[in-house]
Amino acid sequence: MKNLNFLVSAYIAIWLIFCGYLFSVARRMASLQDEIRRLKQDGK
Amino acid sequence: MSGFTHATGVILAKELRAEFRSRELLTTTLVFVLIVIVLFSFTFNPTTSESRRFGPGLLWLAFLFAGSLMLQPSFLRERANDTLAALRLAPIDPFSILAGKMAANFLFLLLVEVILLPVFAVLYNIALFPILGPLLLVLVLGTLGIATTGTIFSAVSSQARLRELLLPLLLLPVLAPVLIASTEATVGLLRDPAELSLVWLTFLISFDVVFLTAAWLVGEYLLEE
Amino acid sequence: MRTSSSPAISLPSVVAVFLLLAAASYGALIWAPTENTMGMIQRIFYFHVSSAWSGFISFLMVFIGSVAYIRTRDLKWDWLSVASAEVGVAFFTVVLVTGPIWAKPVWGIWWTWDARLTSSFLLWVLFVSYLILRTLVDEPERRAMVSSVFGIFAALDIPLVYFSIWWFRTQHPQPVIGDGGALDPRMWRVLLLCWAATLGVMTLLIRIRYRLEAMRSEVDGFRMESLRNH
Repeated sequence: MKNLNFLVSAYIAIWLIFCGYLFSVARRMASLQDEIRRLKQDGK
Repeated sequence: MSGFTHATGVILAKELRAEFRSRELLTTTLVFVLIVIVLFSFTFNPTTSESRRFGPGLLWLAFLFAGSLMLQPSFLRERANDTLAALRLAPIDPFSILAGKMAANFLFLLLVEVILLPVFAVLYNIALFPILGPLLLVLVLGTLGIATTGTIFSAVSSQARLRELLLPLLLLPVLAPVLIASTEATVGLLRDPAELSLVWLTFLISFDVVFLTAAWLVGEYLLEE
Repeated sequence: MRTSSSPAISLPSVVAVFLLLAAASYGALIWAPTENTMGMIQRIFYFHVSSAWSGFISFLMVFIGSVAYIRTRDLKWDWLSVASAEVGVAFFTVVLVTGPIWAKPVWGIWWTWDARLTSSFLLWVLFVSYLILRTLVDEPERRAMVSSVFGIFAALDIPLVYFSIWWFRTQHPQPVIGDGGALDPRMWRVLLLCWAATLGVMTLLIRIRYRLEAMRSEVDGFRMESLRNH
Protein backbone atom coordinates (compact mmCIF):
# COMPACT_ATOMS: atom_id res chain seq x y z
CA MET A 1 0.00 0.00 0.00
CA LYS A 2 2.54 2.50 -1.20
CA ASN A 3 1.81 6.16 -0.52
CA LEU A 4 -1.57 5.52 1.02
CA ASN A 5 -1.40 8.42 3.46
CA PHE A 6 -0.80 10.87 0.59
CA LEU A 7 -3.83 9.47 -1.21
CA VAL A 8 -5.99 9.86 1.86
CA SER A 9 -4.78 13.45 2.42
CA ALA A 10 -5.57 14.27 -1.21
CA TYR A 11 -9.12 12.98 -0.99
CA ILE A 12 -9.67 14.72 2.33
CA ALA A 13 -8.38 17.94 0.76
CA ILE A 14 -10.88 17.62 -2.11
CA TRP A 15 -13.73 17.14 0.32
CA LEU A 16 -12.60 20.06 2.47
CA ILE A 17 -12.38 22.38 -0.53
CA PHE A 18 -15.86 21.59 -1.83
CA CYS A 19 -17.49 21.50 1.57
CA GLY A 20 -15.73 24.74 2.42
CA TYR A 21 -17.11 26.35 -0.72
CA LEU A 22 -20.62 25.05 -0.07
CA PHE A 23 -20.40 26.32 3.49
CA SER A 24 -19.36 29.77 2.29
CA VAL A 25 -22.31 29.90 -0.13
CA ALA A 26 -24.70 28.68 2.58
CA ARG A 27 -23.43 31.29 5.02
CA ARG A 28 -23.90 34.09 2.50
CA MET A 29 -27.36 32.81 1.68
CA ALA A 30 -28.33 32.76 5.36
CA SER A 31 -27.18 36.33 5.91
CA LEU A 32 -29.10 37.43 2.81
CA GLN A 33 -32.23 35.68 4.04
CA ASP A 34 -31.86 37.47 7.36
CA GLU A 35 -31.61 40.77 5.55
CA ILE A 36 -34.68 40.01 3.40
CA ARG A 37 -36.64 39.29 6.55
CA ARG A 38 -35.41 42.49 8.16
CA LEU A 39 -36.19 44.62 5.11
CA LYS A 40 -39.65 43.14 4.78
CA GLN A 41 -40.28 43.97 8.45
CA ASP A 42 -39.11 47.57 7.99
CA GLY A 43 -41.27 47.94 4.93
CA LYS A 44 -44.45 46.99 6.76
CA MET B 1 -12.88 53.80 -42.86
CA SER B 2 -11.20 57.14 -43.45
CA GLY B 3 -13.51 58.67 -40.85
CA PHE B 4 -12.31 56.13 -38.33
CA THR B 5 -8.66 56.71 -39.11
CA HIS B 6 -9.14 60.46 -38.96
CA ALA B 7 -10.93 60.31 -35.60
CA THR B 8 -8.31 57.96 -34.20
CA GLY B 9 -5.59 60.26 -35.44
CA VAL B 10 -7.22 63.25 -33.75
CA ILE B 11 -7.55 61.40 -30.45
CA LEU B 12 -3.97 60.17 -30.74
CA ALA B 13 -2.75 63.71 -31.32
CA LYS B 14 -4.76 64.94 -28.35
CA GLU B 15 -3.28 62.27 -26.09
CA LEU B 16 0.26 62.99 -27.23
CA ARG B 17 -0.21 66.72 -26.80
CA ALA B 18 -1.64 66.27 -23.29
CA GLU B 19 1.31 64.16 -22.32
CA PHE B 20 4.06 66.28 -23.79
CA ARG B 21 2.72 69.42 -22.24
CA SER B 22 3.78 68.04 -18.87
CA ARG B 23 6.06 65.12 -19.76
CA GLU B 24 5.85 64.00 -16.16
CA LEU B 25 4.44 60.58 -17.00
CA LEU B 26 7.24 59.82 -19.44
CA THR B 27 10.06 60.83 -17.13
CA THR B 28 8.53 59.13 -14.10
CA THR B 29 8.11 55.88 -16.01
CA LEU B 30 11.68 56.03 -17.31
CA VAL B 31 13.07 56.48 -13.82
CA PHE B 32 10.85 53.72 -12.48
CA VAL B 33 12.09 51.19 -15.03
CA LEU B 34 15.67 52.25 -14.29
CA ILE B 35 15.09 51.60 -10.60
CA VAL B 36 13.67 48.17 -11.40
CA ILE B 37 16.66 47.32 -13.59
CA VAL B 38 19.09 48.36 -10.85
CA LEU B 39 17.20 46.43 -8.18
CA PHE B 40 17.12 43.34 -10.36
CA SER B 41 20.90 43.48 -10.60
CA PHE B 42 21.04 42.80 -6.87
CA THR B 43 19.11 39.57 -7.23
CA PHE B 44 21.69 37.68 -9.23
CA ASN B 45 25.34 37.84 -10.10
CA PRO B 46 25.43 39.99 -13.26
CA THR B 47 28.24 38.23 -15.08
CA THR B 48 27.92 38.14 -18.85
CA SER B 49 26.56 34.59 -19.03
CA GLU B 50 24.07 35.15 -16.23
CA SER B 51 23.01 38.42 -17.84
CA ARG B 52 22.23 36.69 -21.07
CA ARG B 53 20.09 34.18 -19.20
CA PHE B 54 18.23 36.49 -16.86
CA GLY B 55 18.54 39.84 -18.58
CA PRO B 56 15.79 39.59 -21.20
CA GLY B 57 13.26 38.26 -18.69
CA LEU B 58 14.02 41.05 -16.26
CA LEU B 59 13.85 43.64 -19.00
CA TRP B 60 10.42 42.48 -20.13
CA LEU B 61 9.23 42.19 -16.56
CA ALA B 62 10.32 45.79 -16.03
CA PHE B 63 8.39 46.80 -19.18
CA LEU B 64 5.30 44.98 -17.93
CA PHE B 65 5.47 46.73 -14.57
CA ALA B 66 5.98 50.06 -16.29
CA GLY B 67 3.03 49.40 -18.56
CA SER B 68 0.71 48.45 -15.74
CA LEU B 69 1.58 51.65 -13.92
CA MET B 70 1.77 54.22 -16.68
CA LEU B 71 -1.41 53.17 -18.45
CA GLN B 72 -3.63 54.31 -15.62
CA PRO B 73 -3.66 58.09 -16.10
CA SER B 74 -5.15 58.04 -19.59
CA PHE B 75 -8.67 57.31 -18.38
CA LEU B 76 -8.31 59.00 -15.03
CA ARG B 77 -7.64 62.30 -16.73
CA GLU B 78 -10.85 61.88 -18.71
CA ARG B 79 -12.87 61.12 -15.62
CA ALA B 80 -11.44 64.07 -13.73
CA ASN B 81 -12.45 66.48 -16.47
CA ASP B 82 -15.54 64.55 -17.58
CA THR B 83 -14.36 64.80 -21.17
CA LEU B 84 -15.39 61.24 -21.99
CA ALA B 85 -19.05 62.23 -22.27
CA ALA B 86 -18.16 64.97 -24.72
CA LEU B 87 -16.06 62.58 -26.77
CA ARG B 88 -18.85 60.08 -26.96
CA LEU B 89 -21.29 62.67 -28.22
CA ALA B 90 -19.08 63.33 -31.21
CA PRO B 91 -20.23 61.61 -34.43
CA ILE B 92 -17.36 59.14 -34.44
CA ASP B 93 -17.05 55.40 -34.04
CA PRO B 94 -16.64 54.99 -30.26
CA PHE B 95 -13.86 52.50 -30.85
CA SER B 96 -11.76 55.27 -32.34
CA ILE B 97 -11.56 56.82 -28.85
CA LEU B 98 -10.06 53.56 -27.60
CA ALA B 99 -7.91 53.14 -30.69
CA GLY B 100 -6.47 56.60 -30.27
CA LYS B 101 -5.62 55.88 -26.65
CA MET B 102 -4.15 52.49 -27.53
CA ALA B 103 -1.97 54.08 -30.18
CA ALA B 104 -0.82 56.77 -27.75
CA ASN B 105 -0.06 54.23 -25.01
CA PHE B 106 1.75 52.04 -27.53
CA LEU B 107 3.94 54.91 -28.65
CA PHE B 108 4.68 55.99 -25.06
CA LEU B 109 5.69 52.52 -23.99
CA LEU B 110 7.77 51.97 -27.11
CA LEU B 111 9.54 55.26 -26.51
CA VAL B 112 10.35 54.27 -22.92
CA GLU B 113 11.66 50.91 -24.08
CA VAL B 114 13.79 52.33 -26.86
CA ILE B 115 15.33 54.92 -24.54
CA LEU B 116 16.11 52.22 -21.99
CA LEU B 117 17.60 49.68 -24.39
CA PRO B 118 21.09 51.24 -24.57
CA VAL B 119 21.09 51.70 -20.78
CA PHE B 120 20.24 48.06 -20.33
CA ALA B 121 22.88 47.01 -22.84
CA VAL B 122 25.57 48.96 -21.02
CA LEU B 123 24.59 47.86 -17.51
CA TYR B 124 24.44 44.18 -18.39
CA ASN B 125 27.20 44.13 -21.02
CA ILE B 126 24.96 42.89 -23.78
CA ALA B 127 25.71 43.87 -27.36
CA LEU B 128 22.39 44.94 -28.84
CA PHE B 129 23.51 46.67 -32.02
CA PRO B 130 23.92 43.61 -34.27
CA ILE B 131 20.42 42.37 -33.42
CA LEU B 132 18.71 45.75 -33.33
CA GLY B 133 16.29 45.14 -36.20
CA PRO B 134 14.78 41.87 -35.00
CA LEU B 135 14.88 43.15 -31.42
CA LEU B 136 12.79 46.17 -32.38
CA LEU B 137 10.34 43.81 -34.06
CA VAL B 138 9.93 41.84 -30.83
CA LEU B 139 9.59 45.09 -28.89
CA VAL B 140 6.87 46.35 -31.22
CA LEU B 141 4.86 43.13 -31.14
CA GLY B 142 5.14 42.70 -27.39
CA THR B 143 4.38 46.34 -26.66
CA LEU B 144 1.34 46.21 -28.90
CA GLY B 145 -0.05 43.43 -26.72
CA ILE B 146 0.70 45.38 -23.55
CA ALA B 147 -0.83 48.60 -24.89
CA THR B 148 -3.99 46.96 -26.24
CA THR B 149 -4.89 45.00 -23.14
CA GLY B 150 -3.57 47.72 -20.87
CA THR B 151 -5.80 50.39 -22.38
CA ILE B 152 -8.88 48.17 -22.12
CA PHE B 153 -8.12 47.20 -18.53
CA SER B 154 -7.38 50.80 -17.64
CA ALA B 155 -10.90 51.62 -18.84
CA VAL B 156 -12.18 48.69 -16.75
CA SER B 157 -10.32 49.62 -13.58
CA SER B 158 -11.18 53.30 -13.85
CA GLN B 159 -14.74 52.28 -13.01
CA ALA B 160 -13.76 50.41 -9.87
CA ARG B 161 -12.33 51.17 -6.45
CA LEU B 162 -8.63 50.64 -5.74
CA ARG B 163 -7.95 51.31 -9.39
CA GLU B 164 -4.19 51.84 -9.03
CA LEU B 165 -3.85 48.38 -7.53
CA LEU B 166 -6.49 46.81 -9.73
CA LEU B 167 -4.86 47.55 -13.07
CA PRO B 168 -1.67 45.53 -12.39
CA LEU B 169 -3.81 42.81 -10.79
CA LEU B 170 -5.85 42.45 -13.97
CA LEU B 171 -3.14 43.13 -16.50
CA LEU B 172 -0.18 41.07 -15.34
CA PRO B 173 -1.79 37.61 -15.38
CA VAL B 174 -3.34 38.22 -18.79
CA LEU B 175 0.03 39.37 -20.15
CA ALA B 176 1.91 36.31 -18.89
CA PRO B 177 1.96 34.79 -22.41
CA VAL B 178 3.44 38.04 -23.78
CA LEU B 179 6.12 37.93 -21.09
CA ILE B 180 7.01 34.35 -21.99
CA ALA B 181 6.99 34.90 -25.75
CA SER B 182 8.86 38.22 -25.74
CA THR B 183 11.46 36.97 -23.27
CA GLU B 184 12.08 33.78 -25.20
CA ALA B 185 12.29 35.63 -28.49
CA THR B 186 14.79 38.07 -26.98
CA VAL B 187 16.83 35.26 -25.42
CA GLY B 188 16.98 33.64 -28.84
CA LEU B 189 18.33 36.85 -30.33
CA LEU B 190 21.04 37.07 -27.69
CA ARG B 191 22.33 33.61 -28.48
CA ASP B 192 25.41 33.07 -30.58
CA PRO B 193 24.48 32.93 -33.46
CA ALA B 194 21.36 35.03 -33.01
CA GLU B 195 18.17 33.22 -33.89
CA LEU B 196 14.77 34.78 -34.44
CA SER B 197 12.15 32.35 -33.21
CA LEU B 198 9.31 32.14 -35.72
CA VAL B 199 7.13 30.30 -33.23
CA TRP B 200 7.27 33.06 -30.65
CA LEU B 201 6.89 35.79 -33.25
CA THR B 202 3.79 34.14 -34.68
CA PHE B 203 2.50 33.69 -31.17
CA LEU B 204 2.94 37.39 -30.39
CA ILE B 205 1.17 38.31 -33.60
CA SER B 206 -1.69 35.95 -32.70
CA PHE B 207 -1.93 37.46 -29.23
CA ASP B 208 -2.12 40.95 -30.69
CA VAL B 209 -4.71 39.97 -33.29
CA VAL B 210 -6.92 38.17 -30.76
CA PHE B 211 -6.97 41.01 -28.27
CA LEU B 212 -7.20 43.82 -30.79
CA THR B 213 -10.24 42.08 -32.24
CA ALA B 214 -11.73 41.54 -28.79
CA ALA B 215 -11.08 45.18 -27.93
CA TRP B 216 -12.74 46.27 -31.16
CA LEU B 217 -15.78 44.08 -30.48
CA VAL B 218 -16.47 44.89 -26.84
CA GLY B 219 -14.29 47.87 -25.93
CA GLU B 220 -16.85 50.52 -26.73
CA TYR B 221 -19.21 49.25 -24.03
CA LEU B 222 -16.66 50.32 -21.46
CA LEU B 223 -17.16 53.92 -22.52
CA GLU B 224 -20.84 53.94 -21.63
CA GLU B 225 -21.88 55.78 -18.58
CA MET C 1 -39.19 38.72 -8.99
CA ARG C 2 -40.08 35.91 -6.62
CA THR C 3 -36.95 33.83 -6.47
CA SER C 4 -36.65 32.99 -2.81
CA SER C 5 -39.78 30.86 -2.92
CA SER C 6 -38.94 28.61 -5.86
CA PRO C 7 -36.73 25.65 -5.01
CA ALA C 8 -33.61 25.88 -7.14
CA ILE C 9 -32.11 22.52 -6.34
CA SER C 10 -34.37 19.50 -6.80
CA LEU C 11 -33.78 16.54 -4.52
CA PRO C 12 -33.55 14.02 -7.38
CA SER C 13 -30.68 15.94 -8.98
CA VAL C 14 -28.75 16.09 -5.70
CA VAL C 15 -29.28 12.36 -5.20
CA ALA C 16 -28.20 11.68 -8.76
CA VAL C 17 -24.97 13.61 -8.34
CA PHE C 18 -24.25 11.89 -5.04
CA LEU C 19 -24.73 8.48 -6.62
CA LEU C 20 -22.48 9.46 -9.51
CA LEU C 21 -19.87 10.68 -7.07
CA ALA C 22 -20.08 7.49 -5.05
CA ALA C 23 -19.70 5.35 -8.17
CA ALA C 24 -16.79 7.44 -9.37
CA SER C 25 -15.05 7.27 -6.00
CA TYR C 26 -15.47 3.51 -5.88
CA GLY C 27 -14.09 3.29 -9.38
CA ALA C 28 -11.12 5.48 -8.59
CA LEU C 29 -10.27 4.00 -5.22
CA ILE C 30 -11.07 0.32 -5.67
CA TRP C 31 -12.09 -0.85 -9.13
CA ALA C 32 -9.30 0.82 -11.13
CA PRO C 33 -6.10 -1.19 -11.37
CA THR C 34 -3.21 -0.02 -9.25
CA GLU C 35 -0.49 1.66 -11.22
CA ASN C 36 2.87 -0.11 -11.11
CA THR C 37 5.38 2.63 -10.38
CA MET C 38 3.46 5.19 -8.36
CA GLY C 39 1.33 3.00 -6.17
CA MET C 40 -1.84 4.13 -4.50
CA ILE C 41 -1.20 7.85 -4.91
CA GLN C 42 -1.84 7.53 -8.64
CA ARG C 43 -5.55 7.12 -7.84
CA ILE C 44 -5.71 10.84 -7.22
CA PHE C 45 -5.17 11.32 -10.95
CA TYR C 46 -8.82 10.63 -11.75
CA PHE C 47 -10.21 13.50 -9.70
CA HIS C 48 -7.19 15.74 -10.34
CA VAL C 49 -7.69 15.62 -14.11
CA SER C 50 -11.49 15.66 -14.10
CA SER C 51 -11.46 18.68 -11.78
CA ALA C 52 -9.29 20.47 -14.30
CA TRP C 53 -11.66 19.57 -17.15
CA SER C 54 -14.70 20.71 -15.17
CA GLY C 55 -12.83 23.86 -14.22
CA PHE C 56 -12.33 24.58 -17.91
CA ILE C 57 -16.01 24.10 -18.59
CA SER C 58 -16.79 26.50 -15.75
CA PHE C 59 -14.54 29.14 -17.24
CA LEU C 60 -16.13 28.54 -20.63
CA MET C 61 -19.44 29.37 -18.95
CA VAL C 62 -17.92 32.62 -17.72
CA PHE C 63 -17.13 33.43 -21.35
CA ILE C 64 -20.64 32.49 -22.50
CA GLY C 65 -22.27 34.47 -19.70
CA SER C 66 -20.07 37.48 -20.39
CA VAL C 67 -20.81 37.53 -24.11
CA ALA C 68 -24.51 36.96 -23.48
CA TYR C 69 -24.67 39.79 -20.97
CA ILE C 70 -23.08 42.25 -23.37
CA ARG C 71 -25.56 41.27 -26.07
CA THR C 72 -28.73 41.10 -24.00
CA ARG C 73 -27.98 43.29 -20.94
CA ASP C 74 -29.96 40.77 -18.91
CA LEU C 75 -28.30 40.58 -15.48
CA LYS C 76 -29.15 36.87 -15.20
CA TRP C 77 -26.23 36.16 -17.56
CA ASP C 78 -23.97 38.02 -15.19
CA TRP C 79 -25.23 35.84 -12.34
CA LEU C 80 -24.21 32.83 -14.41
CA SER C 81 -20.76 34.35 -15.00
CA VAL C 82 -19.97 34.97 -11.34
CA ALA C 83 -21.35 31.59 -10.28
CA SER C 84 -19.26 29.81 -12.89
CA ALA C 85 -16.15 31.80 -12.01
CA GLU C 86 -16.36 30.94 -8.31
CA VAL C 87 -17.00 27.26 -9.00
CA GLY C 88 -14.17 27.21 -11.53
CA VAL C 89 -11.81 28.67 -8.94
CA ALA C 90 -12.92 25.97 -6.48
CA PHE C 91 -12.16 23.26 -9.05
CA PHE C 92 -8.76 24.68 -9.87
CA THR C 93 -8.01 24.95 -6.15
CA VAL C 94 -8.54 21.20 -6.08
CA VAL C 95 -6.16 20.82 -9.03
CA LEU C 96 -3.50 22.99 -7.36
CA VAL C 97 -3.76 21.16 -4.04
CA THR C 98 -3.89 17.59 -5.38
CA GLY C 99 -1.06 18.24 -7.85
CA PRO C 100 1.64 18.79 -5.22
CA ILE C 101 0.20 16.02 -3.00
CA TRP C 102 0.69 13.71 -5.97
CA ALA C 103 4.10 15.10 -6.85
CA LYS C 104 5.70 14.80 -3.43
CA PRO C 105 5.71 10.99 -3.07
CA VAL C 106 6.38 10.44 -6.76
CA TRP C 107 9.06 13.05 -7.47
CA GLY C 108 10.18 13.98 -3.97
CA ILE C 109 9.37 17.66 -4.46
CA TRP C 110 6.12 19.55 -4.05
CA TRP C 111 6.34 21.70 -7.19
CA THR C 112 8.30 21.56 -10.44
CA TRP C 113 6.77 24.36 -12.55
CA ASP C 114 5.42 21.61 -14.74
CA ALA C 115 3.51 22.99 -17.75
CA ARG C 116 0.01 21.92 -16.81
CA LEU C 117 0.27 22.83 -13.15
CA THR C 118 1.82 26.21 -13.93
CA SER C 119 -0.93 26.95 -16.42
CA SER C 120 -3.51 25.91 -13.83
CA PHE C 121 -1.91 28.26 -11.35
CA LEU C 122 -2.08 31.16 -13.79
CA LEU C 123 -5.69 30.36 -14.65
CA TRP C 124 -6.53 30.29 -10.97
CA VAL C 125 -4.91 33.70 -10.48
CA LEU C 126 -6.69 35.08 -13.53
CA PHE C 127 -10.15 34.18 -12.30
CA VAL C 128 -9.43 35.17 -8.74
CA SER C 129 -8.61 38.59 -10.24
CA TYR C 130 -11.99 38.45 -11.99
CA LEU C 131 -13.68 37.86 -8.65
CA ILE C 132 -11.70 40.64 -6.97
CA LEU C 133 -12.67 43.04 -9.76
CA ARG C 134 -16.30 42.27 -9.03
CA THR C 135 -15.99 43.13 -5.35
CA LEU C 136 -14.59 46.53 -6.28
CA VAL C 137 -17.56 47.71 -8.36
CA ASP C 138 -20.79 48.28 -6.48
CA GLU C 139 -23.40 49.18 -9.04
CA PRO C 140 -24.86 45.99 -10.60
CA GLU C 141 -25.03 47.01 -14.27
CA ARG C 142 -21.60 48.62 -14.26
CA ARG C 143 -20.16 45.62 -12.44
CA ALA C 144 -21.75 43.26 -14.94
CA MET C 145 -20.36 45.21 -17.88
CA VAL C 146 -16.77 45.53 -16.69
CA SER C 147 -16.73 41.92 -15.48
CA SER C 148 -18.06 40.75 -18.82
CA VAL C 149 -15.32 42.56 -20.71
CA PHE C 150 -12.61 41.26 -18.39
CA GLY C 151 -14.22 37.80 -18.40
CA ILE C 152 -14.05 37.69 -22.20
CA PHE C 153 -10.41 38.76 -22.23
CA ALA C 154 -9.51 36.30 -19.49
CA ALA C 155 -11.25 33.42 -21.28
CA LEU C 156 -9.57 34.28 -24.60
CA ASP C 157 -6.27 34.29 -22.75
CA ILE C 158 -6.65 30.67 -21.59
CA PRO C 159 -5.47 28.92 -24.80
CA LEU C 160 -2.68 31.49 -25.17
CA VAL C 161 -1.51 30.79 -21.62
CA TYR C 162 -1.52 27.04 -22.19
CA PHE C 163 0.31 27.19 -25.47
CA SER C 164 2.99 29.62 -24.34
CA ILE C 165 3.74 27.69 -21.15
CA TRP C 166 3.67 24.35 -23.01
CA TRP C 167 6.02 25.57 -25.75
CA PHE C 168 8.29 27.15 -23.14
CA ARG C 169 8.45 23.80 -21.33
CA THR C 170 9.22 21.98 -24.57
CA GLN C 171 12.25 24.25 -24.91
CA HIS C 172 13.23 23.93 -21.24
CA PRO C 173 12.14 20.46 -20.11
CA GLN C 174 11.43 19.63 -16.50
CA PRO C 175 9.91 16.65 -14.70
CA VAL C 176 6.27 16.33 -15.61
CA ILE C 177 3.66 15.79 -12.94
CA GLY C 178 1.12 13.67 -14.65
CA ASP C 179 0.17 10.32 -16.04
CA GLY C 180 3.13 8.09 -16.65
CA GLY C 181 2.02 7.12 -20.13
CA ALA C 182 -0.72 5.18 -21.89
CA LEU C 183 -3.85 4.42 -19.91
CA ASP C 184 -5.26 1.00 -19.26
CA PRO C 185 -8.83 0.88 -20.74
CA ARG C 186 -10.27 0.36 -17.25
CA MET C 187 -8.51 3.55 -16.16
CA TRP C 188 -10.11 5.42 -19.08
CA ARG C 189 -13.55 4.27 -18.00
CA VAL C 190 -12.96 5.41 -14.45
CA LEU C 191 -11.62 8.74 -15.71
CA LEU C 192 -14.74 9.36 -17.79
CA LEU C 193 -16.93 8.38 -14.87
CA CYS C 194 -15.06 10.80 -12.62
CA TRP C 195 -15.45 13.51 -15.20
CA ALA C 196 -19.19 12.90 -15.32
CA ALA C 197 -19.28 13.09 -11.53
CA THR C 198 -17.34 16.35 -11.37
CA LEU C 199 -19.54 17.80 -14.11
CA GLY C 200 -22.53 16.91 -11.97
CA VAL C 201 -20.96 18.59 -8.96
CA MET C 202 -20.11 21.61 -11.11
CA THR C 203 -23.67 21.95 -12.36
CA LEU C 204 -25.09 21.67 -8.88
CA LEU C 205 -22.65 24.18 -7.40
CA ILE C 206 -23.24 26.68 -10.20
CA ARG C 207 -26.98 26.42 -9.74
CA ILE C 208 -26.68 26.99 -6.00
CA ARG C 209 -24.36 29.95 -6.46
CA TYR C 210 -26.62 31.36 -9.18
CA ARG C 211 -29.49 31.21 -6.76
CA LEU C 212 -27.41 33.11 -4.22
CA GLU C 213 -26.76 35.83 -6.78
CA ALA C 214 -30.45 36.03 -7.70
CA MET C 215 -31.24 36.42 -4.00
CA ARG C 216 -28.60 39.12 -3.69
CA SER C 217 -30.21 41.02 -6.53
CA GLU C 218 -33.59 40.69 -4.82
CA VAL C 219 -32.13 42.12 -1.63
CA ASP C 220 -30.68 45.03 -3.57
CA GLY C 221 -34.17 45.63 -4.96
CA PHE C 222 -35.69 45.59 -1.47
CA ARG C 223 -33.00 47.89 -0.19
CA MET C 224 -33.75 50.41 -2.96
CA GLU C 225 -37.45 50.21 -2.13
CA SER C 226 -36.99 50.74 1.59
CA LEU C 227 -34.72 53.71 0.88
CA ARG C 228 -37.42 55.20 -1.30
CA ASN C 229 -40.11 54.65 1.32
CA HIS C 230 -38.20 56.47 4.03
